[in-house]
Amino acid sequence: MNIIKILLVVCYCFLAHVVFGQAVNWANNSLENKHTVHLNIGWDYGLIYELGYSYQLDSEMPIILNALYSFPSGEDFFDDFKIKLGGQMSVLEHGPIGLSLAVNGIYRRYENPLTTLQNFGGEIATAIGYYKPRWFIAAELGFDKAIATHFNHTDAYRENIYSEVKDGWYNPSTGGNFHFGVQTALSFSQNAFVFRIGRMATENFNTTPTIPYYMRLGYQRKF
Amino acid sequence: MKNLFYWMPLMVFCFIACEEDKSIEESGNLVPPTVDEAPNLPSIFINGTLLHAEAYGNPEDPMLVFLHGGPGGDYLNGMNVKHLANNGYYVIFYDQRGSGLSQRHDKDTYSIQIMLDDLTAVIAHYRISDSQKVFLFGHSWGGMLAAAYINEYPDRINGAIFAEPGGLNKDLLDEYGESSRKLELFSEATNDVLYGDQFITGGENDHAILDYKVAMISSFQYHEGNNEGVEGPSPFSRYGAVTLNSFVDIAENDGFDFTLNLNQFSTKVLFLYGELNLSYGLSFAEKEAAFFPEADIRQVDGTGHEMIHFKWDNVYPPVLDYLNSIN
Repeated sequence: MNIIKILLVVCYCFLAHVVFGQAVNWANNSLENKHTVHLNIGWDYGLIYELGYSYQLDSEMPIILNALYSFPSGEDFFDDFKIKLGGQMSVLEHGPIGLSLAVNGIYRRYENPLTTLQNFGGEIATAIGYYKPRWFIAAELGFDKAIATHFNHTDAYRENIYSEVKDGWYNPSTGGNFHFGVQTALSFSQNAFVFRIGRMATENFNTTPTIPYYMRLGYQRKF
Repeated sequence: MKNLFYWMPLMVFCFIACEEDKSIEESGNLVPPTVDEAPNLPSIFINGTLLHAEAYGNPEDPMLVFLHGGPGGDYLNGMNVKHLANNGYYVIFYDQRGSGLSQRHDKDTYSIQIMLDDLTAVIAHYRISDSQKVFLFGHSWGGMLAAAYINEYPDRINGAIFAEPGGLNKDLLDEYGESSRKLELFSEATNDVLYGDQFITGGENDHAILDYKVAMISSFQYHEGNNEGVEGPSPFSRYGAVTLNSFVDIAENDGFDFTLNLNQFSTKVLFLYGELNLSYGLSFAEKEAAFFPEADIRQVDGTGHEMIHFKWDNVYPPVLDYLNSIN
């Protein structure tokens, strides 16, 4: 896996307006307030804190670009984190019923006393729901693929577990997880409180993450 | 631009597909190969499986079989026990079915009975006469397995040493588990266990992947402030994740009780507990030892659950005294 391939993956993520981002009330979207900041807390493979920004494009079809940064709780703040860049669009509206599609590119990092992992991934998600100007509720389904992962092991791993472990890029993909659940929000003027909750399963379907649930409680402010 | 949009993903995936990078599914990359993949490793074929196994000492001496922890662990961190070969014991080590460097099997093939049958076959493989005495030395899950064996076959074993068996029945296992392996929501150690789930996933029988995931998070066992008093990393070769998962399911779904016939085992047994293991201690040792008619309980000073690796000098005297007293 060389740097060119990594860049290509990232470029594609941008060009395709890629991974799953924020819960958006498509019935309460206005070009008067193109900018939104997001603050979230929740469970996403650990207790996480998330900061985000989104920008609504001035396009015929509603498109929102997202940037998200999240990190888990713990004594070391910067050893584990996830960055998502992408976007989402409303692809179908029929009265209050709406269908949206989101695509994101992901860079994430994980470190513990034995190994450091860096991963480029992608996420695609869809939500279908009932949207009113002050609130909405929607069902969501998504898939997060860990496309290529770099492994770097510490001396502790080599000395105590496996001295001949091979560091470097690993592909084909090292994993993938589905998520499915609900998202809902209440809007007040330029503010909104959002809530998402659901379940996860690995792409093999016969195993799950250790904690097979996700949850987000968030605040959004438009300006 | 529109063409680029359509062709870019194809180009990306062609690049990835064309380059022969390493695969996490392949043994030898992130985890060592097992005995069926590396014929140079010492092994025995018993009961339809190939086990990683070694023996030390005079084959005519009384046999001492070491049972490692887990389920799924290996005997590497119990290798100090081989010093008993110098004291007139024929010391046998084996990685249990689907554990350590032994051959892997599908998750639905495991049972307590098959582990007992394997132990019977291991003893038969190394034993040279019916009069040769057989002792068991079980650490953690290995102690549970030793109890299960004595519970099923009280007349086949001549003595047993239990180094902190994690629960001889389901209630005791739950009690020990709740105390020893708590996840603290805000701690780094919790992240070290959980956050990697988004990087690596495997199906229920993807051995190399799942074994690596267990190895990757094994630092949790010795994180600062751990209740079991584990001082730091101790060596292991490879963890049998599928074996572990299978026995977790068996315990949860079927329960177990290895204590029902232990009162028939009239020989004195030895229980060891580490001074620094806050989850075990004298009170838990007494609960477990009470299932046997006669038991000696000894504290191992200055160490915790991994006492055999970290404080062998303190483990060795009571073990040798015990073995010599019943030999």
